[in-house]
Amino acid sequence: MKKSKICLILSALMITALLLTGCGGSGEEKKQAEGEKAATGGGTIKIGFLGAKTGGHAAYGVETLKGIKMAVEDINSAGGLLGKKIEIVEEDHGSKVSEGTTVTQKLITRDKVVAIIGDPTTGITKAAAPIAQQNKVVLLSAGAVGPGVVEIGDYIYRDVLLNSVGAPAVTKYLNEKLGWKKVVVVTSMNNDFSVGLTDLFKQALIENKMEIVGEQSIQDGDQNFAAQVTAIKDKKADGIIFTGYYTEGALFMKEVRKQGLKTVLVGGDGLMSDVFLKMGAEAVEGSMFFCGFAVDETKSTDKTKKFIEAYKAGNNGVQPDYFSVQGYDAVMLIADAIKAANSDEPEKFRVELAKTKNWEGVSGTITFDESREPIKSPVYLLEVKEGKLAVKDTIEVK
Amino acid sequence: MDSIFSMFLNDYYIQVLTMLGIYLIAALGLNLITGVTGQLSFGHAAFLSIGAYTSAIISLKLQLPFVVALLAAGLMTAIWGILLGYPTLRLSGDYLGIATLGFGEIVRVVFLNMKITGGALGLAGIPRSTSLTMVIILVFFTILSMFRLENSRFGRSLIAIREDEIAAESMGINITKTKITAFALGTFFAGVGGGLYAHLIQYLNPQDFGFVKSFDFLAFIVLGGLGSIPGAILGTTVLTLAPEFLRFVADYRMMIYGLLMVFMMIVRPRGLLGGVKLSRLFAKKKVQTSDTSASGGAN
Repeated sequence: MKKSKICLILSALMITALLLTGCGGSGEEKKQAEGEKAATGGGTIKIGFLGAKTGGHAAYGVETLKGIKMAVEDINSAGGLLGKKIEIVEEDHGSKVSEGTTVTQKLITRDKVVAIIGDPTTGITKAAAPIAQQNKVVLLSAGAVGPGVVEIGDYIYRDVLLNSVGAPAVTKYLNEKLGWKKVVVVTSMNNDFSVGLTDLFKQALIENKMEIVGEQSIQDGDQNFAAQVTAIKDKKADGIIFTGYYTEGALFMKEVRKQGLKTVLVGGDGLMSDVFLKMGAEAVEGSMFFCGFAVDETKSTDKTKKFIEAYKAGNNGVQPDYFSVQGYDAVMLIADAIKAANSDEPEKFRVELAKTKNWEGVSGTITFDESREPIKSPVYLLEVKEGKLAVKDTIEVK
Repeated sequence: MDSIFSMFLNDYYIQVLTMLGIYLIAALGLNLITGVTGQLSFGHAAFLSIGAYTSAIISLKLQLPFVVALLAAGLMTAIWGILLGYPTLRLSGDYLGIATLGFGEIVRVVFLNMKITGGALGLAGIPRSTSLTMVIILVFFTILSMFRLENSRFGRSLIAIREDEIAAESMGINITKTKITAFALGTFFAGVGGGLYAHLIQYLNPQDFGFVKSFDFLAFIVLGGLGSIPGAILGTTVLTLAPEFLRFVADYRMMIYGLLMVFMMIVRPRGLLGGVKLSRLFAKKKVQTSDTSASGGAN
């Protein structure tokens, strides 16, 4: 009886301690924020980071944040923005949709950010976007490629390479530079990304007057592609357009080589993974896919080179991936819009943001079209060369 | 509707409290199944998702009022609860747990592949109809009905089943029917919670209803104390608010959250309020005060 009483008191104490520290912490935070405001006279422009630092999407969030921090450092060391410093408010949502909306609400109501960068995934961006739109805060996603994002409202933007830009550019390149006339299209039917990309490729193929000599459907998770490969064997295609993901892509190419075909595969950034290279080994040699950014020493601009060097210096020589680059560009896009509007009010600078045209960033040039969708140039076409990824070409988009 | 609250609470707190209310409704549903009846369920998030998708589709495709969508969500989920309960509630303990775990994964994969649910892209553009006022009313309704249920003849037979199935059966309780009724009621509340969730978040994705979320709910009620209504409420409140309150420690947030759970389970293995009943919470106080006065008299 006594023991259980002690336990009860102990646990009650623990809870109160927890709640008190929680409240105390937030109270201090508030005071701190107020103190800062008083000291600098509202001298900071707050930008929120919405992304995962833990959970399934942590890799995307952490990389995006690295790029964001580099951009903020660059701006602040160059004297800030409109005479104010930029401050990043970072919150982790643990890759959960429900927490993503809570974090968005917190960034807007408590931290009073003028813009939010994130989330790198389409799902959480779609959950966060209505809140940003209702509260009139600009949300710029550095990674959401799926459909139905910017349609949510005129405060919502993204700075990624869309498949609707990449697929036509690559198709044109295949036709004009590589002389492809006949292709086979392979789609993974239970993969939305694949189904959508196939539609875009088909449209582009018709526009370029290329012939689809065969169409095959697979499923994500399939292991054996013997039937599909046999069906396309005598079509004499110049290449295979494969819109699915990396595992199936590698296995498909293994079957293609096994049956003695020499054609190569072309796809989207669903193939971008080490698994594709390791699993496919010699079979994927010469295969190509497009993506929004890749490190390329020979073709990149000075701006890009500078970023790559700075990133490598801060990350033990590791090369940046497209999430960090897009994070960097996202901050710079917003900063330039604020500069152009000469105001850090979202209502004013979002108008300037929508006007962005041929804007030079680290990942290339970005133009927002009438529906606020980004048109990004160049498209990076990567090729597997001796078991490694190499930039085959950069395709300019107009 | 929330204008009263927005006078002294900002939108962030309203969002957090609304979320807490939704989790409370669903957790109390699970408490009836796992806590009171003693049937281990690892698939509670799946029931939440059935309710969420049902109400969202009704709102989006049929444009019916929110109340209808919410009620339909609860009923649809209860139907699935019965459908699952009928074959599986004959199992017990770990076996039932595995069966519900499997069901949870099936539901997730089905939603991932259905056209009407938007597949892997998720379902967006659901109207934001959930308000804090409404959630608070529903939480009170849930607590009241759980309290009334527990103290009814039916509730007592549930506790009898938890303690000893054979003894309960020999006392004339129809075990399968009682268990399924409890399961249907518990999943009904999960469905209502799911409907509220869908109309708060405005976006649904099957990925968000994985088994991790089911374990979250289980943690709520185990930490609070299985079978205790105040325990389920306290456990849910602590575990839902802790991650938000712990934001000031930034990157160590989830570590402290985990430590807290381990520590609490060591100190109070039966849960924070294990065995504490709503009715006795008040009764006990009277006993205690008379106790102290008695000892005072002895001194």
